[in-house]
Amino acid sequence: MSQRITIDPVTRIEGHLRIDVEVEGGKVSKAWSSGTMWRGIENILVGRDPREAWIFAQRICGVCTTVHGIASVRAVENALDLEIPLNAQLIRNLIVISHALHDHIVHFYQLSALDWVDVVSALKADPVKAASIAQSLSDWPGNSVQEMRTVQAKLKDFVEKGQLGIFTNGYWGHPAMRLPPEVNLIAVSHYLQALDYQRRALQAVAILGSKTPNIQNLAVGGVANAINMDAASTLNMNRLFAVRQRLEEATRFVQQVYFPDVCAIGGMYPDWFKYGAGVRNYMSVPEFPTDAKATQFDAPGGVILNGDIAGVKPINDWKDPFFGKNVTEDITRAYYDGSWDKHPYDETTDPKYNTWDPAKKYSWVKAPRFEGRPMQVGPLAQVLIAYARGDALTQKWANRCLDVAGSVAKAKLGPAVLESTLGRIAARAIRAAVISDLAMKHWGLLAENVGKGDTTVYNEPKFPTGTIKGYGVHEAPRGVLSHWVVIENGKLKNYQAVVPSTWNAGPRDGKDQMGPYEASLVGNPIAVPEKPLEALRTIHSFDPCLACAIHTHDADGTEIAKVKVL
Amino acid sequence: MARVVVVGIGNVLNSDDGLGPFVARTFTGGWDLVGDAEVLDAGTPGLDLISLLHGAEAAIFVDAVRDSGAPGDVKRYDRAEILKGGTKTVMSPHEPGLRDALLAMEFQGGAPGDVTLWGTIPESVELGTNLTDTVRGSVPRIIDGILGDLRRLGVEARRVEPPRDADIWWERYPD
Repeated sequence: MSQRITIDPVTRIEGHLRIDVEVEGGKVSKAWSSGTMWRGIENILVGRDPREAWIFAQRICGVCTTVHGIASVRAVENALDLEIPLNAQLIRNLIVISHALHDHIVHFYQLSALDWVDVVSALKADPVKAASIAQSLSDWPGNSVQEMRTVQAKLKDFVEKGQLGIFTNGYWGHPAMRLPPEVNLIAVSHYLQALDYQRRALQAVAILGSKTPNIQNLAVGGVANAINMDAASTLNMNRLFAVRQRLEEATRFVQQVYFPDVCAIGGMYPDWFKYGAGVRNYMSVPEFPTDAKATQFDAPGGVILNGDIAGVKPINDWKDPFFGKNVTEDITRAYYDGSWDKHPYDETTDPKYNTWDPAKKYSWVKAPRFEGRPMQVGPLAQVLIAYARGDALTQKWANRCLDVAGSVAKAKLGPAVLESTLGRIAARAIRAAVISDLAMKHWGLLAENVGKGDTTVYNEPKFPTGTIKGYGVHEAPRGVLSHWVVIENGKLKNYQAVVPSTWNAGPRDGKDQMGPYEASLVGNPIAVPEKPLEALRTIHSFDPCLACAIHTHDADGTEIAKVKVL
Repeated sequence: MARVVVVGIGNVLNSDDGLGPFVARTFTGGWDLVGDAEVLDAGTPGLDLISLLHGAEAAIFVDAVRDSGAPGDVKRYDRAEILKGGTKTVMSPHEPGLRDALLAMEFQGGAPGDVTLWGTIPESVELGTNLTDTVRGSVPRIIDGILGDLRRLGVEARRVEPPRDADIWWERYPD
């Protein structure tokens, strides 16, 4: 006898992500992932000037503004075969780094930690013991007995007033929650501290980008930051040092709090290294170029098929045809007119809604494929590929995390355990630690190059008559992002954004192959169908960012996410 | 961050959902605020609102709202009304909205004490870069409302004559 569970947030006018699972014998037997809103950025961009596409692209998603801006300018530069100055590469890298640190911290503490941490249980903790556990993990100043006492008192005050505020809808007391009260208290303390440190990383984006959430300093051909060490209104020594200070603060938090928390908590849930692998094809693109021509990168890209880590194939640079020729999007199971699998240059986006039918069409998300295969993208893909390709920084941090988790779990853990729900969360912390090391390196490269007297930031683009095509890639916090442009006589003729959450959240395809969310849910335990915490753990491990569009305040606050058990 | 902030929220690629950014930019073009106050087109920041609001004592939001009534109706909500109800099970970084950001700040300590939301019920949130005429017609009433709240908060707004270009770039069409 199977049960069907639908998790549908219904929080905004159009909704975002809906998950349906069939449960048999306490485990998920089938799963469907549906995006409930459509997007067709090309329907807005066609006919416009390619130089301003990035300004619109930034508004695709309010959380990932900078990443769409970066992919967009890279796409037009790729079509023009336009090299940008070294300073521009490095300033963009620093924006990417700052944004990624911010984003990964928020994902763990604010968006996924409470699937594993029981906030209410923290009330039972002994603050002295909690501080001593935290201090054994790192010498972070925010791990004092005083800090633990203060947070516990604050939490107690909230609970006694009968309102949990931000924590109202958690699955507190759920049987799948396994942490001791002291660890829960440490995590709640760090939840609060994370609110402060993610903001500091975001301030670095604001200083470099002139503004957040929507930066203003990008340009096709480089950046718009005038560099003059002596002028107040430009990127000068004061501003560079302000960026450095914010990055140092975020780095300390990542290395002394976020990374040790994730690795230690991971060791307390060893079962979750067994669930949630799903699609074992992985893809990442090279990121953090260290030269103007973008031939050398600090984060390597590549493809792993069927979990064959040793057989990793490289994606060498942003022009590598191995990537550019092999991406398609399939709409067989998505609400668009037709049933095809096409290269992004040739795609259209013609919405045609039908009812939700798991046997036919059931999602607004298209199904991207690489050589016809579903691919998992994101920090896990990036870490596995970098590890396999011998990247020293990735190996250092991954081995360190596996050692910490292994010593807590009293087991020997190798990189293979990363192919799991918990592994995706650990990989994000590993990637954040790697990026925090790169932050100082790239800041140094920029300071050094400017110190040599190079203040060039922009090469002017010139558009030819006729048709040109190009794509821009970016290894974003949620994985491989690509924007694809067709330009005719200097105007946009087609524009497609193939985003990370499309790769991961996409539906089945013409060959009935499941997407990564779907495949990863199959086999997950579900202890209490009305409270499908385990399914949320796996979905949240991908850091879903889906509709990327509508924001409407819901004045009637009574509506909550529906969990329907049929 | 300034002591008083006016924050326009919404997606400019989804028709009337772009109300907040439209109002924020129109206001910036037409009025100068005297003292420690700032106007911001925030897009759809989700939990990043926490960073944008850091240090603010008072916040006036503008957003499309889902409520009973007809498209174009102007609504005002105070802090208690915004916070009523609980949070929702969060699936993605977009899910946490205004309410969640304020609750997180409240738990942290340092949430703005005076919060107002001015909103309009949207007529269309389909893909598109223009407000509908119905919602565009509500903009002067919303701006009057914001001016009233600013006065109440002791912030002087000086009319700029003639108004500067509001730079509603998303409504411009290519040649």
